[in-house]
Amino acid sequence: MSGAAQVTKRAKYKISVKDPGTPGALRMNDQKLMFMPDNRNSGAKLVVEFKSIQGHKYTKEGSNKPPLINLANAQGGSYIFEFDSYADLHVCRDFVSKVLEKSKETPNAALEKSAVKLPDEQLSEEEMQLRIKLLQENSELQKLHRQFVGGNILTEAEFWAARKLLDIDPSKKSKQRVGFKSAMISDIRPATDGRTNKVTFSLTPEIILQIFAEKPAVHRAFLNFVPNKMTEMEFWTKYCRAEYLSRTKNYHAVVAEAAEDEELAVFLKEDDILANEVRKKIRRVDPTLDMEADEGDDYTHLPDHGIFRDGTKESNELQSEHYRRTLLQDLNRHAAVVLEGRTIDVEREDSTRALAEALARSKRGNEGADNNANEERLDRTPRVAEIEDLQAPHCLPLAPLSIKDAREYFDSQQANTLKASRDSQASMKCSLSRQEAYGSVRDAISEIKDMGLSDPIVNPEVALKVYSGLTHNISSIKYHLGKNPRETVLDRLPSATKEKLLYHWMSIQELLKHFWSSYPITTPYLYSKVNRLKDALSNIYPQLEEMKESLPADLRHQVSLLVRPMQQALDAAIQHYDADLQKRSAKSGEKPNGYI
Amino acid sequence: MIFKLEDVTVYFPYDNIYPEQYSYMLELKRALDAKGHCLLEMPTGTGKTIALLSLITSYVLSKPENPVKLIYCTRTVHEMEKTLAELKLLHNYQTRHLGPAAKILAIGLSSRKNLCVNSRVLAAENRDSVDAACRKRTASWVRALAAENPNIETCEFFENYEKAASAAVLPPGVYTLQDLRAFGKQQGWCPYFLARHMVQFANVVVYSYQYLLDPKVAGIISKEMQKESVVVFDEAHNIDNVCIEALSVSVRRQTLEGATRNLSRINQEIERFKATDAGRLRAEYNRLVEGLALRGNLPNAWLSNPALPSDILKEAVPGNIRRAEHFLHVLRRLVQYLRGRLETENVEKEGPVSFVASITAHAGIDQKTLRFCYERLHSLMLTLEITDTDEFLHIQTICDFATLVGTYTRGFSIIIEPFDERMPHIPDPVLQLSCHDASLAVKPVFDRFQSVVITSGTLSPIDLYPRLLNFHPVVSRSFKMSLTRDCICPMVLTRGSDQLPVSTKFDMRSDPGVARNYGKLLVEMVSIVPDGIVCFFVSYSYMDEIIATWNDSGILKEIMQHKLVFIETQDVVETTLALDNYRKACDCGRGAVFFSVARGKVAEGIDFDRHYGRLVIMFGVPFQYTLSKILLARLEYLRDTFQIKEGDFLTFDALRQAAQCVGRVIRSKADYGMMIFADKRYSRHDKRSKLPGWILSHLRDAHLNLSTDMALHIAREFLRKMAQPYDKAGSIGRKTLLSQADLEKMTNDGSINEMLY
Repeated sequence: MSGAAQVTKRAKYKISVKDPGTPGALRMNDQKLMFMPDNRNSGAKLVVEFKSIQGHKYTKEGSNKPPLINLANAQGGSYIFEFDSYADLHVCRDFVSKVLEKSKETPNAALEKSAVKLPDEQLSEEEMQLRIKLLQENSELQKLHRQFVGGNILTEAEFWAARKLLDIDPSKKSKQRVGFKSAMISDIRPATDGRTNKVTFSLTPEIILQIFAEKPAVHRAFLNFVPNKMTEMEFWTKYCRAEYLSRTKNYHAVVAEAAEDEELAVFLKEDDILANEVRKKIRRVDPTLDMEADEGDDYTHLPDHGIFRDGTKESNELQSEHYRRTLLQDLNRHAAVVLEGRTIDVEREDSTRALAEALARSKRGNEGADNNANEERLDRTPRVAEIEDLQAPHCLPLAPLSIKDAREYFDSQQANTLKASRDSQASMKCSLSRQEAYGSVRDAISEIKDMGLSDPIVNPEVALKVYSGLTHNISSIKYHLGKNPRETVLDRLPSATKEKLLYHWMSIQELLKHFWSSYPITTPYLYSKVNRLKDALSNIYPQLEEMKESLPADLRHQVSLLVRPMQQALDAAIQHYDADLQKRSAKSGEKPNGYI
Repeated sequence: MIFKLEDVTVYFPYDNIYPEQYSYMLELKRALDAKGHCLLEMPTGTGKTIALLSLITSYVLSKPENPVKLIYCTRTVHEMEKTLAELKLLHNYQTRHLGPAAKILAIGLSSRKNLCVNSRVLAAENRDSVDAACRKRTASWVRALAAENPNIETCEFFENYEKAASAAVLPPGVYTLQDLRAFGKQQGWCPYFLARHMVQFANVVVYSYQYLLDPKVAGIISKEMQKESVVVFDEAHNIDNVCIEALSVSVRRQTLEGATRNLSRINQEIERFKATDAGRLRAEYNRLVEGLALRGNLPNAWLSNPALPSDILKEAVPGNIRRAEHFLHVLRRLVQYLRGRLETENVEKEGPVSFVASITAHAGIDQKTLRFCYERLHSLMLTLEITDTDEFLHIQTICDFATLVGTYTRGFSIIIEPFDERMPHIPDPVLQLSCHDASLAVKPVFDRFQSVVITSGTLSPIDLYPRLLNFHPVVSRSFKMSLTRDCICPMVLTRGSDQLPVSTKFDMRSDPGVARNYGKLLVEMVSIVPDGIVCFFVSYSYMDEIIATWNDSGILKEIMQHKLVFIETQDVVETTLALDNYRKACDCGRGAVFFSVARGKVAEGIDFDRHYGRLVIMFGVPFQYTLSKILLARLEYLRDTFQIKEGDFLTFDALRQAAQCVGRVIRSKADYGMMIFADKRYSRHDKRSKLPGWILSHLRDAHLNLSTDMALHIAREFLRKMAQPYDKAGSIGRKTLLSQADLEKMTNDGSINEMLY
């Protein structure tokens, strides 16, 4: 940090974005930032400690806005500086973010001990951008944001946490490894332009990777030949020529060409690496489908024994067997490679050479891992021999779940079960061992087995009744809407009231979402959040009442019909809050007694 | 469960039993009691193998005074492994309940290639070179030489096994090939020779058909089996073809060229021996004068041949071939004669009698001499201490041919074709000795053993098999399948989605519309059927062709969007790996399609049970290639001898193959699967009625004439129905799963008989 301990740039200090600004020099060190206006008398001189700065925003290069940086202080105000150029902006931005990061570490260490507050999010630039964009595009969201975040009912982080789903984080998404395409893209087809005799093959990195994976000999040839012996272009030209040749199915031509050009022959010949691999794999194959062993035991079909030409066996031309690669073999090989899965990522725009090398590396790495799988398969054979329904299963087959981040998944699962169990019985054990979990599942299954599933859990008639009762309202409203849009209740209200009503509904929804999601209260932080939310919720009652009061009598009834569900939702929340509070106080009251 | 079946206490390793299994056991028991042969058809997926194994082992346990040995023949090695795995399960159960008294020895037997543990021998490429590599290290003369010269390589496993001598025994237990190899490795004994030695002591021997049926192998392996054995041919629907193949030989130009080379090599050897060790040839001569009856003294002998008439054992080798060089001359003349016969422009067909007469006239070799060629050659090769037997396959073929043609006077024909008529431009003359009568190869087995059980999922029509194999079963029954729910759904698809008929009939086969309709059917099915789908085509060439068409028209790409595609090829190694991958893809939920060929290796013995096969599509009717001269000759023979009409036999043969293909989807009553017969010809009654009863009984009239869209609808409904929970034991009136209590109750009140009949 010492190297860049200080930055000085020319900038304009602005009170708001629209303010023309005061020109001057902005100087920053790791403690504070200072602004010295050119005109010493302007009074816009500024000294701010970085401790008081909470975050920073800046305009993006390429947008038609001037290069601005906005430093928000703890009191909700902000300092805006306009730079001469984006280069300056970037230097300052980097500096500010570094300093802020550093200054945050220290206070946070202290804060975490009390653990009342969530550590402030380290916002990436993209995320910040995304949020700003969302706010700009959605006026309702903006309104809510202003009301709750501005009104200190929710923190910035809480507000956005509920909208995690909205922002798609591209960096995380791409981490899931994409498998090979099911389609045989390595089976490249020539394109003709129709006028000349030229044929064109087009290769993409994706295709090249698949070719490498499916044809190890080509892969090896590439590593050997390129770039020492030939260029990449020449290499692929040759490859395509070989493909074209074998596509013509003229084996004599293939043999002749291969004899002339030894590099070309590499592509046309049988793949020796593959053959070796096959030999290795065949030893590990499940003995109950090993047809190779069968051939080894077959003394009837000695050469020239058995029935030779009865039409079931096709005589194939033995000549040029060496250069024969059939579509069927290609298909099998392709499916095997797809099944094996991809071992390296190709998203980076690497050169083909790097690609080839990465593949070679990952192959070497894999070789060791294969051996264990063998044991496992042999172990399975006797189980296959059993007939499933004559015997109750010894152990239920468990299919391992494919979860990318196992810890995250199970943590969230555990939290869910905890949530459920705490509501029903408070004294349930918090951590379930695997056996216990499995046992309980088994019990549940056997219970179902005993009781049978013959009776539907819910009587269908009752279910239908309830369902139609519940949806009646919706369908009728829809019906009315469809028939005559003016007839809806809302449209008969004055537009101001309507707006207000909708706005209330929205904000209640937002608050309730946060409210319910904070249960069960496990940390003091959540506790304080719930308190804040409850206060905000209870503030809405008078507002609703007030709105009702202000209306003429004929509309009041209709509005109160609309308001009632809102009030009910609020009631439910407040009720739950009170009940929870009582439970908590009772519990905390009991405990000391129990201990004494 | 343990229950009484008349006077036998049956130990059955499961808690429940299907009624079919119970009645199957009962019929089997009666056949054993009567010491006769039997023929039992029971649908696939009803646990035939385990019922059979547990009855026979329990039978032996209940009647210790009458120890029968079980010889269980499977079509393939992987079925052998499966059978042994089931037996292992049973054996564990029996020893758990009866203690050490129930201990048996059960082994699987296979070739050196599958049993050898010597890595240097195993490095050899194919079966024959493994055999030769083994002989090179274990032949008695090689070992004698090695005793003096330490540079000669022997096999340490074989040496250890020999050293252990009579101590080298397998402790009781069930040994799969894998277990045998592991045991051999651990003890340092050769598993192959150990297993072959233990065959005579084992209670259960599981091996492949040809160890009993093929005279070339049977003579070596099965000579010591006692009469009190029960021989089981499992999956025996193709047994007639196996028998026929075992006795058929074909001679091509390459064979004759190879044989000529072999003969000059043998000549060299003879000259060498004359110069160095003339005594040995003389000793052989003297031995042959004394006759084959004393052959037991031969070291490492290739021994008696059950398929040959017994009088050959009492006869001595004719004088004119006792001398090595005379025998060589005979063979030279024979090869010369055959070469002459191959130079023909037309297809020729002849019976063995006239063929032998012609050999006698032109080459001066009489029938008796021909008959002894096989024995004589092996004797000579032993005398000459030839270990690289794999180099001498061609001359062995010629001698096999000579012996067969000299032995049988009926049931065979010799067919000479100058070229394959599908490729008339490529001259490839072949002389085929083809057997038409399946009973010839299987006769010694019926004669020799007390009970022979022929069983399979498809033996319809069941009265045909005793005629084809010429035997008289004491029990012959076909069992129905009692299903808890309709878990199989056969359909006949006659039209594509464009309502045009689909068929692989000769005149429609190359119609692009048919290929497209077949493709569309599969595309639709892959999108709605979960996990595995298996498709069977009528031949490799048809499959090749149609896949190429699908590839060009993009149908294959559409299929690949839903499932991975694996294909059976003519290369078994590749096919095995493809199958393995197919299973992996089904296991991991990716789903896959397997393209296979009726009458191919996969159709013969691979199960596509449970999620490995929820749907089988049989594209076309798998008729044999009806223009084949051999087939025509066989049909003629069948008509003349058994009064079986050609058309009937062809349909029977095609339909049993089709039934076999589709029958692979069901493993138990809890399993489910659909079967689509995609050809308009299946809707005809004469074809369809040849399907086994258990498929026909589920083939509803409404499913007889479907188009693609209707089939799709039915498939959707079926899959939805199968996903519902159900009661495994079946409804009260019609139990499909019996517990021990049920069984006891039913035996007591006599309702068991009601259930059975």
